[in-house]
Amino acid sequence: MKLGVFVSDYQSTVNTLERLKSDQLGIFLVQNGVYHAAIAENGKGSAILDAAPRVFALREDLETRGFAADAVDARVKVVGYGDIVDLIFSEYPKLAWL
Amino acid sequence: MAKLTIGCFSSLVGSMSLDFAVKLAEAAIEKGHEVDFWMSGNATMLSKKGQKSFKDYSYLDKRIRAAMDKGMKMCACEACAEARGYHKEDTFDHPGLIRKSMDWYLASCHTADRVLHIGGE
Repeated sequence: MKLGVFVSDYQSTVNTLERLKSDQLGIFLVQNGVYHAAIAENGKGSAILDAAPRVFALREDLETRGFAADAVDARVKVVGYGDIVDLIFSEYPKLAWL
Repeated sequence: MAKLTIGCFSSLVGSMSLDFAVKLAEAAIEKGHEVDFWMSGNATMLSKKGQKSFKDYSYLDKRIRAAMDKGMKMCACEACAEARGYHKEDTFDHPGLIRKSMDWYLASCHTADRVLHIGGE
């Protein structure tokens, strides 16, 4: 089963993500969750970026917080609301919100 | 066309989660999908009439009316609303907006292709 998880806060949720059973996990960084995409602490990016093969960040929430799309980690794909709609209908039958 | 059901449980008007939920619903509608939007807990205040727009403050009233004009169905938890002193006569008028028990949300989830449940704190 493919699972799409929305991460909406800037706190460590890696343990929670590791407990989720999924054949393919996709992470959507939204709201304050987009800080995971753009902030490196001690030169290291967020551990969440290693928790799933595909990580997306909402462009509008990045821009609201002063981050340009080219400022995010290379492992993250920047998407808009329309892209999220397409992704959840085409690739992620189950969704969760953290 | 597919159906997306969004359940929003915790948010006050002006919260990030409620803004996100409404904007995602708008995007789904623009792409031709069907959207059901359940408001529970403090999110029920989104359906209260008389909301005013202030600078630098989220204002979703017009947006949800426009989305409902395009077919989005919204339902506020009746018990949640009554518990907050928000009664039927306080609900704004739109044929796409109703107040029901959580049965409505469960039935909507059952028939939806995708469900995004935005939980409470």
